[in-house]
Formats: sequence, structure tokens, C-alpha cells
Amino acid sequence: MSDGNSDGMDLEALRDGVRAVLAEQASHEKVAAFTNAEGVRDQPLWAQAAELGWLALSASEDHGGLGLGPSELAVLYEELGRAVASLPVLGTMLVIEALARGGDAAQQAAWTPGLAAGELAGAVSMVTPADLEPSLRVSAGPDGGVVLDGVAENLLDGAAADVLLLLARDGEISRWVLVEPAVDGVAIEKVATVDRTRHLGEVRFEGVVVPAERVLGGDAGQIAQALLHHAALALASDARGGANAIFEITLDYLKTREQFGKPIGSFQALKHRCADHKIALVASGALVAEAVAKMASGDPAAGRYALAAKALATEVYARVAQDAVQLHGGIGYTWEHPCHLYLKRAKLNEQLFGGPAVYLDRVTDLLLTAA
Amino acid sequence: MSGQTATSPSTTPRRFDPLARKDDLDAFRAEVRAWLEAVVPADWHARMTGATEADYVAFQRWWFAEMGKVGLATPHWPRDWGGADIGIRHQVIIFEEIARAQAPNPDMFVISLYHLPATLFGNGSKAQRDRYLTGVQERGEVWCQGFSEPGSGSDLASLRTRAERKGDVYVINGQKVWSSYGAFADYCLLLARTDPTAPKKQAGISYFILDMKTPGVTVRPIRQATGQAEFCEIFLDNVEIPVSDLIGEENGGWAIAQSTLSAERGLIIFELSERMARTLDADLAEAKRTGADWLKDDEARRAFTRAYSDMVALRLMIRTLMQEIETDPHMGSTSMPTYIKVHFSELLRRYTEFRVKLGGLSGQLRAPIVLGGGHQTGNVMHDFLLSYAWTISGGANEILKTMIAERALGLPR
Repeated sequence: MSDGNSDGMDLEALRDGVRAVLAEQASHEKVAAFTNAEGVRDQPLWAQAAELGWLALSASEDHGGLGLGPSELAVLYEELGRAVASLPVLGTMLVIEALARGGDAAQQAAWTPGLAAGELAGAVSMVTPADLEPSLRVSAGPDGGVVLDGVAENLLDGAAADVLLLLARDGEISRWVLVEPAVDGVAIEKVATVDRTRHLGEVRFEGVVVPAERVLGGDAGQIAQALLHHAALALASDARGGANAIFEITLDYLKTREQFGKPIGSFQALKHRCADHKIALVASGALVAEAVAKMASGDPAAGRYALAAKALATEVYARVAQDAVQLHGGIGYTWEHPCHLYLKRAKLNEQLFGGPAVYLDRVTDLLLTAA
Repeated sequence: MSGQTATSPSTTPRRFDPLARKDDLDAFRAEVRAWLEAVVPADWHARMTGATEADYVAFQRWWFAEMGKVGLATPHWPRDWGGADIGIRHQVIIFEEIARAQAPNPDMFVISLYHLPATLFGNGSKAQRDRYLTGVQERGEVWCQGFSEPGSGSDLASLRTRAERKGDVYVINGQKVWSSYGAFADYCLLLARTDPTAPKKQAGISYFILDMKTPGVTVRPIRQATGQAEFCEIFLDNVEIPVSDLIGEENGGWAIAQSTLSAERGLIIFELSERMARTLDADLAEAKRTGADWLKDDEARRAFTRAYSDMVALRLMIRTLMQEIETDPHMGSTSMPTYIKVHFSELLRRYTEFRVKLGGLSGQLRAPIVLGGGHQTGNVMHDFLLSYAWTISGGANEILKTMIAERALGLPR
């Protein structure tokens, strides 16, 4: 995430506003209905998000954005996580960030306003801390264009996207290339995930020529780093929101469900598990908040905090959501109950942009470098 | 070894006065650091390794006196009671610098520094505060705690030590246990039952100050799993306590005891977390310097970094608590101290266990420990065993988890 260049907005007001809209437009019933229908983009919700400026939060003011930073984005991501909303904003935000870092004036002018206005949805190659070489290749092509060959895999929310930002190998170096599937004549294949609030996309390229002005400048590795940190904070925030929500739902159930003539929440075996979850939520929440604050202030350790927060918060979310099903008993195992929405999203969050192990490994490397 | 002659540096270049610089945080930090560099003996770890109990006690007293000379023994106390009334940012600096200098832990004075003021500030009489807080500051008086009994651990309110009013004194009979440093203590924070017929057992308990030199007090050390004997049993046989040493109202001791226990979950863990942060950094730097095998072991690396992240989260939680304390000194509304105590103690267990695993067979060999080294005694099994002190004392974690579930999460009793 780029540093916020404004004084920021009232975060609690933003939170209240987003939460109120999502309570209406992304209730559990609506999320269930939309995901049961296997949709890729909830158009009414997307349009409302665009109208309310959610997609414009981080874009620069020169390009139709609000010029805000990580603190505001984190609030949005956290609230989307709370609602398990199916709103593919992360890909769009990442394309906006990449353009801000590696795009020239013309590229920014061409793409950023449409993304910020919600007219275009974006998706990016899934970078991870593990330094994998992209399987997509780019080379010089005819008439000043470039040629793409290979497969672009694991594009988060890819089937809902109008513009793709893909990491491609060009001999020894990597480049970020913008692809507009409708114009470039490539098809995005939807790859269904168990979590139906999200999906992945995949695109195959065989000698597809795109204009050279679609190649981003800047250091592709540094852009990848920035996108990784942004995604890590987004998923950590999503996890924080989701984990708190399903925990609250579970507590309510434990207070009302009676067996053996008393609320099941009065049983000590369940109380202690809830206390453990609460402490883990407070601890991981503190780390996420600090990572966001460090990113917003441009602290040199921000990246390390973001990576650690992703590993910790997504693991805590998975643990809490897992136990939520168990604590609900049979009802929590049904399709109609929201427990499985949270559990599946939690499990997917753990693996998106790399799993906990690669995050911990990178954090260890960074700690060792600093030691 | 006498603490004074053996440990004071031969040349003290100047008098240090960090509190005079408290308006400038950088200058304050520099002065604290300069003082620590001048006063902490470079070889104290070596000299306290396998030291005798007498040497250890003398060293503790010397260190406490040194801290007192520059006003850093009780800087967290309010000015009205001889403290410096410093805020959270100064406290952070002091703890960070003490951790950085690897200065000794004033283990023997923990009750004097934290539990006693937490008890007397809100509940003691002026005469009690004047007498006993001054005693800590000026004479380095050592306090212990007389709460638990053989039959009353987690169920503290079931305690049976009896106090009967007879004229101007209360006559105490009973037995206390797990009193740290009871053998060296001048005074004891004592809970005893004044009304055995009260309908609720909590309502019949009173809170006393006990002078450990009173006839009828017998102290017997208990050897712990570590082999040390820090804990003591205290036997009370017709011990007379003057009525003036009752804290608060008769039968009003239970609520005051909660103030005492809250001390265990506040500043003490703050200091320990700063030391823990320093330890993890030092352990990693040491591993890097020596090319330790575990750096090539994915499982161990990840376990370390998980612990490291939990340590960072702990420090953030403590900072949140400190900010809450600044706005609401009575902390009536927050469960954060309880979250912190459980999180800290479980992390301490996990990290010391991690060190034991890394230690392999050599970690199982008997080796001398650094007395006053807190949880970094240089002996990984000893550190690991000591971690039980934090998961059991001050309310076992299981008790605290029930408390969190009922009070913070609203689950039914």
C-alpha cells in the first residue's frame, strides 16, 4: 500500500458507513444467495461500492481517487471480512497500487480513473514471499508490441476482472504487463474455490501480442514487494474482521442454546476455549493494527510487520472459524448457517498470496538480516 | 561477598539524575543509559552464577539501593508518596534501558514495589502509607504476600487462617504458603478470616499488615522444582497484630485483595516483556553469530518467529493497557491485564520449552544459574521450570480464563 498523502479521514465514521451498507447489501442471506448462484461479481453491491467511493480510496486525487492510505483501506478490508462479503476489491486495489508505483503518466491516466470509479475491475498475479519464477513469458513482438506466452494462474477474483496485471518473465528479468482480455482476445477461465465468496481465474496465452505501452516501468521486483505487503495487510484485515464476527456469532449461540437445562456457554470446557480465542484475537488484532500504522507512517519495518500479521491473523481466523463450527454443533455444519462461509474464507485466506509457512520463513530472514 | 564493597564501581564519575531530565525524552533516555553503564557491574552475571543465598540477598539489596539513589526504584509511584509520577513514555524508556543493559531483576522487591502500593494507594490509611511506603523507599524494606493456604489456592476465598479481635489487637492463627522471599521479608500482606459466619465466604475476610518479627511467626522455606527455595510457608501461632495495621474495614479485605492481584498483571509484566524482547533479539543474534544449527531447521525457525510475533503482540497489548491506565487509573473497565497475563505466561512457557528443545542433551545437564537473572538464568531447564510461576501464581490461568469468559465475554456462570 502506498503511503497516505492526505490527513486521512475519520476512520470510525468510515467503518460505520461501510458496515451499515454491508449489513444491508451483504447480509448473510444475500451472501448465501449470491454464492449459491455461483456469481463472480455482485453487480448491485459493486455499483454501490463504486458510488460510495470505496474503490477510489487509495487512488491519487489526480486520477479520480481520494488519495487515502493503508489505514482507510484496512478498515474497508476488515469490514468486508466481517460480512464475508463477495466483493472483489483487492485485485482492483492492487492494480491501482502497481500503476501508482510503476505506471507512467499516460498509463495512470489511461487506467486509474476507470479502476477508481469501479468501471473496471482488476486482478493481479498472485505474488508470494517464496520468490517463484512466473510461468508466463514476455518477449519483444512485432510493431513495437510484446508477445505473451504461457499460463497466468491463480488470479484472485480473475473471472470478474476487466483488466489483468500479470507478472511475466523476460529472459533474466521480470516485467508487469497489463492485459485487457476483451480487447486482447483472451478468455479468463474461472477456477472455482471451495470458498464461494471468492474465486480464481486462469488465462492461457499463445503468442498473444499486446501494445508495448501495456508494460509497466519501474523495478518489477519492488512492485511485487509492495503488492505482497498490500495483499498481506488486506488479508490480515479481512481475517481480523471475519474472526471477530464469527466469534461474536458463536458467543451469542453459546449464551442462548440450552442443553441439560442450562446455556451451553456455562460449561467450563467451552468457556476456556472461548477465552483462548479471545486472547488470540486481541493479540493478533494488535499486530495487524500496528502493521497498518507502520505502513501508513512509512516505517522501514512495515513490510516485516505486514508479513507477520498475515501469518498470525489468518491462522487465528482459521482456528476460531474451525472451532465455531464445533461449538455450534450440528447447526454449524449445515449449509444454511453462516459458519461454513467464514470457515472456508478463513482457510482460503491462509493460502492466498502464500501460506503461513512461507510468510514465517520470510519474516525469519528479515529478522536475521536485522539481528 | 558483600554487595556494597564487591559491586560498587571504584570510580563514579558523576552523580546521575535522570528525573531532572524528564522533560526531554532523549536526554532522559541518555541519562538512564549512562547511569546503567556506570553502575551495573559488567561481571554480575558471572558473580551471581551459583552464588550463595547470602551473596544473592546482599546483591539484591545493593541493587535496590542503587536504583533508589537516582529515583528509579519507585518512579512509577505518585509524587505524593515519594514517587516521580512519570508517565508511560518514561516507563517504557526505563524498562527498555534496563533490559538493554541486562541489569539485575530486583526480584526480592517485587511485592514491595508493585503489590504493596497497589494495595495501599487506594485502601491504606495515611499513616500506613507514610510508614510503609517510606519504609520501602528509604530503608529497602522487603515485603511478602500471605494469601494462599494449603487448602486455599485457586479458591482463595475459602482461606481459614483466623483473626480474632481482642482489645487493641487481632490474634492470628493459621498457615500461609507460596510466600516468595518470606524468609527475608520484613512485612507481609496478610489475608485472614475475621467472620467465619458470614453468609458469603468472601465477606468474612480482612486484610492486615504483618510484621514478620512478631512473636509466633515461623517461616519455613519450601524447596521448589527448580531446587531453589524462594517460596516459604508461614506458620502463625497466636500472632498479635495491632488494630492500626488492619487495611480498610474489618471484613472488607476481599475487594482490596483484588487490587493487590491486579498489580501482577500490570507493570511487572511490562518490565518482563521488555526483557523478553531483549532476550529473543539476543538469542537470534547469537544464533546468527555462531551459525546455530536450528537456523537450518524450518520447524525451529518457524517456532521462533511465531514466538517472536507473539512477543511483539504482547508489547503492543501492554502499550494499549498503559494508555488505558493513563486515562483511567483504576482500570475498572478493562480485561486487558488478564489477557496480558495469560498471553505472557503461555508465551513464556512456549519459548522456554523451545529453548529446552534446542538445548538437546546438553540442556539437560545440571549447570549453575544466574541468580537475579529473571527468566534468563543461562540454564534452559531452569528457565523452563520457572515459567510455571507465571502460569500458576496470581490466579492460575484456568481461573483467569473462566474470569475472561464470564466477565469479558458475558458467558453465563
